[in-house]
Amino acid sequence: MRILAERKKALIVILAMLLVSPFFGVIGSEIVGYHEPLDIAAEKLGLKEEIVVEWSPFSDYTVPGLPNTLGYIVAGFLGVGIILAIGLTTTRIVGRKS
Amino acid sequence: MHNTMHIPDGFLDPTWALATTIIALLYAFIALRRVKRHWSPERGVAVSVIAAAIFVAQMLNWPLPGGTSLHFVGGALAGILFGPWLGFLAMALVILVQTLVFHDGGITALGANLVNMAIIDVLVGYTIYGLVIRVLGETRRARLVAGFLAGWLGITLAGIACGIEIGLSAYFIYGLTVTIPVMGIWHAVLGVIEGIATAFIVDYLATRAPHYFAIHTLVQETYSPTPSS
Repeated sequence: MRILAERKKALIVILAMLLVSPFFGVIGSEIVGYHEPLDIAAEKLGLKEEIVVEWSPFSDYTVPGLPNTLGYIVAGFLGVGIILAIGLTTTRIVGRKS
Repeated sequence: MHNTMHIPDGFLDPTWALATTIIALLYAFIALRRVKRHWSPERGVAVSVIAAAIFVAQMLNWPLPGGTSLHFVGGALAGILFGPWLGFLAMALVILVQTLVFHDGGITALGANLVNMAIIDVLVGYTIYGLVIRVLGETRRARLVAGFLAGWLGITLAGIACGIEIGLSAYFIYGLTVTIPVMGIWHAVLGVIEGIATAFIVDYLATRAPHYFAIHTLVQETYSPTPSS
C-alpha cells in the first residue's frame, strides 16, 4: 500500500522497539521482579485475579514452544500485524463505500 | 505480566463491569458515527500506524527503583493527535488486541479498561492540550508544556478512575481509601515520564510529521456549536 510505504520511518521505529522489547518486558522483569501500582492496590485490598477461561494461546505475550524472549518479539509482531490489518482493511472498506 | 492499569478478571464486581461496558459501548457507537463523517485514507493509515506504535511502546516496561515499573500508555498522545473520537478508536484497537489476543486485561474488565485508557486518558489529553495551546499560543514551548501536562494529567486521572472502579468493587467499605491514594499517587509520579514522552513525541511529530495530526481539522468540527457537515 502506497500510503503505508510513506510511513516507512514510523514502521522502522516500531520494528526497532519490537526487537528491544524483551529487554524491557521479559529480561528486566525477571531481574528486577517488578510489579505494577494496580498490583499493589489489589494486594492491599485482597483482590485476586480470576482466570475466567484461558482463551488465548498467546497469553501474556508468549508463544507456545518459544522461549519467553523470542516469544515476546513474535507476539509483538503478531499484535502489530493484527492492528495494521484491522486498521488498513477498515480504511480500504470505508474508502470503497464513500 | 500485566500492563499498568489493565484490570484483570476478578477485580471488578458485576455492577461495575456492566456499567463500564455500557459506557464504553455507548462511547464507541458515538465515536464511530462521528468519525465516519471525517474519514479519509490518510487518517485511517495514520491511526493504524500510531495504534501499532502505542501497542509496542506499551510492551516496553521500564524498571524503576523500588521494584515498580512503568511503560508509556499513549492515551493522551492519541487524543492530541486524533481528537476524542478517532483517538478513542486508536486506543480501543490497541486494548482490544491486548485483551483478546494476549489476555492482557480481563474480559469482564474490558469496558473499564476502555473507559480508563481510551476515553478518560484520551479526553483529558485532548482537552488539556487544546486549553494550554489556546492560552499560550502555537509555539514550540507551548507545545512542550501542553504535551507534558496532557500526558501527565491524562494518566493520573485514568489511574484515579481505575482506583475508584476497583475501590468500589472491593468487598469492604474502605476500598476507596486504599485504591485512590495508591493509584493516584503512583500514577501522578509515573505520569511525569508519560508527560515528558508525550511532550517530545508531539513536538517531534508536529515539526517532522504533521500529517499525523488529524486534530487540526477535527477540533472545529467536533466542538463547533454548529457542525460544518
